Amino acid sequence: MRTEQKEYIILNVNGIDRKFTVGEDRTDVQPSETLAETLRNRLDLTAAKVSCDKGACGCCTVIVDGEATLSCSTLTVECDGKHVLTLEGLEDPVTGELDPIQQAFIDHTAFQCGYCTPGVIMTVKALLMKNPHPTENELKEALAGNYCRCGSHHQVIETVMDMTREEA
Amino acid sequence: MKNFKHKDALTVNEAAEAKAQGAKVIAGGSDLLGELKDKILPEYPEKIVNIKTIPGMDAIEKIEGGVRIGANVKLSELAGCELVKDKAPAVAEAAYSVASPLIRNQATVGGNICQDVRCWYYRYPNQIGGKILCNRKCDGMQCYAFTGENKYHSIMGGMRVHRSGCSESCPAHIDIPQYLEKIRANDLDGAARILMKKNPIPAMTGRVCPHTCMTDCKRDRYDESVNINQIERFMGDYILAHADRFMTAPEHETGKSIAIAGSGPAALSAAFYLRQAGHTVTVYERMEEPGGALMYAIPEYRLPKDLVRKQIKAIADMGVKFVCNTKIGEDVTVDQLKAENDKVFLDTGAWEPSVLGIEGEELTRFGLEFLVEVKKWMADKPGSDVIVVGGGSVAVDVAVTANRLGAKSVKMITLEPADKLPASKKDLDWALEEGITMENSWGPKRILRDGSKITGLELKKCVSLFDESGRFSPKYDENDTMIVEGDAIFLSIGHRIDLSFLGEDPFLATERGRITVDDKTQATSKEGIYAGGDVTTGTKTVVLAIAAGKKAADAMIAELGGEPEASLKEGFLKAGAHCLDHTPQLETPHVPAAERTIDKEDELTCSFEEILTEANRCFNCSCYAVTPSDIATALMAVHAKVVTNKAVYDSDEFFTTKVKIQDFLAEDEIVTAIEVPFADGVCSYDKFRERESIDFAVVGLATNYKVKDGVIKNADIVLGAVAPVPYRAGDAETYLTGKAVSEEVAEKAAEIALAGADPLEQTEYKVDIAKTLIKRSIMKLL
Repeated sequence: MRTEQKEYIILNVNGIDRKFTVGEDRTDVQPSETLAETLRNRLDLTAAKVSCDKGACGCCTVIVDGEATLSCSTLTVECDGKHVLTLEGLEDPVTGELDPIQQAFIDHTAFQCGYCTPGVIMTVKALLMKNPHPTENELKEALAGNYCRCGSHHQVIETVMDMTREEA
Repeated sequence: MKNFKHKDALTVNEAAEAKAQGAKVIAGGSDLLGELKDKILPEYPEKIVNIKTIPGMDAIEKIEGGVRIGANVKLSELAGCELVKDKAPAVAEAAYSVASPLIRNQATVGGNICQDVRCWYYRYPNQIGGKILCNRKCDGMQCYAFTGENKYHSIMGGMRVHRSGCSESCPAHIDIPQYLEKIRANDLDGAARILMKKNPIPAMTGRVCPHTCMTDCKRDRYDESVNINQIERFMGDYILAHADRFMTAPEHETGKSIAIAGSGPAALSAAFYLRQAGHTVTVYERMEEPGGALMYAIPEYRLPKDLVRKQIKAIADMGVKFVCNTKIGEDVTVDQLKAENDKVFLDTGAWEPSVLGIEGEELTRFGLEFLVEVKKWMADKPGSDVIVVGGGSVAVDVAVTANRLGAKSVKMITLEPADKLPASKKDLDWALEEGITMENSWGPKRILRDGSKITGLELKKCVSLFDESGRFSPKYDENDTMIVEGDAIFLSIGHRIDLSFLGEDPFLATERGRITVDDKTQATSKEGIYAGGDVTTGTKTVVLAIAAGKKAADAMIAELGGEPEASLKEGFLKAGAHCLDHTPQLETPHVPAAERTIDKEDELTCSFEEILTEANRCFNCSCYAVTPSDIATALMAVHAKVVTNKAVYDSDEFFTTKVKIQDFLAEDEIVTAIEVPFADGVCSYDKFRERESIDFAVVGLATNYKVKDGVIKNADIVLGAVAPVPYRAGDAETYLTGKAVSEEVAEKAAEIALAGADPLEQTEYKVDIAKTLIKRSIMKLL
């Protein structure tokens, strides 16, 4: 009979394979652990924030196998063999050059307190990976699950539209 | 999140098996993980089984006349599917309306339609002061949505998610709120039929039942419980007065026969249901008259014997045969009964007086017809000083009877302290009111005598009643004694079961002097023989015996090839009018202490007006939360099917039978796909909410209109978030069929659709929103 529960999982996080045992020990990934918890607590990748912890705010957004994903509402054990990309994985590891989206956000100051920004950038990244030149409506639609309490939405839309237009 | 075990299922069967063993199914996880984080499930699951790993469940494929959507299809895929957008737009629009794109990337179709109902209070337990106990979670107080903020709650009434407090604590599980609702609708016959589904002799229980239902009435914590006792009593009298309508001979005879030994409440209950199902029923009774405890153990002033006779006559008139003066084990044996009948039911009761084993016990009087004996003895010796040993309801009956028969004094001696007496508080209060005195926490040590004449009773202090394991095992201080004087002692310390009638039967299992029966069926260890009542439980209540008789009858009827009772589909539940006003409980009319007698009833039956007012105090405890699934609403509008590993359901049946889909699904049942037929009409989904992203619907509306030459040929109108389950506006659909589209028609249809609305205090605006959405959907046809 098949083992009931996985013994270990391998996550590719920002290009590096990470192996975790699954179990109840402190060093194990627990079956109830969310991807957000694993990234933040085990890998010290704290860009993704746990804000509402219900999938409603988008602050925890990362990219899993090319899809914008709510890491607070995803179990780590269910990410076995998947590619996870976090904000920390966007810059070039050799040159330290930022992703164009990150640079554009800085250039346009498309944030205020910055708490929701990693989630916003990851959502935009996932969109541009599929659709490099979105219309404004497509962009707004994609960002409909990322809430910003400071009200930076307008700058975000302007920035991304500018950036994708420049590229075009 | 608290930890759990996790399993990736590879097949539906594997997942179904895990689910049957208590695992929770996870698909996208957006609903389940929230519930786990908030710890709001009644039981935290030990295991989660992931169905995303089952191959083949994430495809959208064209089938004949429609499209089949795998349960694991993501909402984003469904929302973007060109085929669905084109052929069943309401479904795609509903999927697109769910939460946010990030959630739609993860959430699945199966998960969406199986998600739990959502109550604002239930989902946000921390924000409003810690753990919220609601009716839904089996315990708790009044529903917060009833009076508080409730924009996400029903405007059509509630739906039952489990038994109400009253029904749950009633051993017979009578659907009390349901028959009270019928009373409110002035439908006494309907009320009677609901009551009699579980209790065929409410005229008896209306007088003798302890009514634990009233202790667990949620209204008790609001002001005072509903006086279910008086309502039941009224209904019992109503049923007896119209026994020719409610207790009729069956239309068809099955030709099967059942013998019942004993004629107490369990026997009467079993006889009623068995006869109703068309079986031939013969009841054997050793006494002169049937009724058991109802006839011989409960005093006249509590339960008039003429009423018991009337009740038994009503059952006899159904064709049940009563054979009296026949003792089982002597005149006829159980084996004989079994040989001559298809089934046998034993309800021989507990009639052997318990023995104390103290000196002089032979001088205390007590027998089978103890109340008769008490009467006889008192007639001989009025003016005696009577001592009654015991603190149960029978002891109170004996004391009150002796007192009303002219004893000089009556003193009750109880083992229990005053606040732990088994008799009801009302009975004790009345006894004290009538001048009976009481010594609590004393046990009999020695009977004092002068030759064969009793002079008193020596008592020893009872220091504890139960041992460490909680078993009844009284301990005494032999040095702390007291003497009470008296010239008659009645021992009322419980009854034992006499099983000697069984003879030496190694095949009928007994335990601690009781017949062992199966909990669900009342079946004994011997094929074809069932038992119920005190002979299986020791001395307990009438209502428990009635419940046992009904369970046994159900099991026998099923064994004999009968159809199980069809469950009644009830509409949305409405609370009593003005039930939130604080009002006192209906007072039970009774005779004042000084005028109470031995042979006239102490309590009286209320008028219909009084019980109607009382029935209106019922909260009709039910859940006002709504199914939040937009897709469910849309699926109903296009008459989609829901496919599970066990069956294919029409969406109306799947979504509207139970509030919680998990209650509708079998333990090992998992949704695997939905089948959406192509809608050849104007089909759309509209959702009113506060924010265009994330928010749940305040009102959702899925419609599908077939229009030809400006005339509506067919209309499907399903509202979401207005009732616990999606609400099909059937009357409006009928009204619209054949009508030419116009503003007037649209308005009328909207009025009709919301005619049944019964909004909570603060949600009247939801009625207007729903009407507006419906009107708009029709006006778009112009």
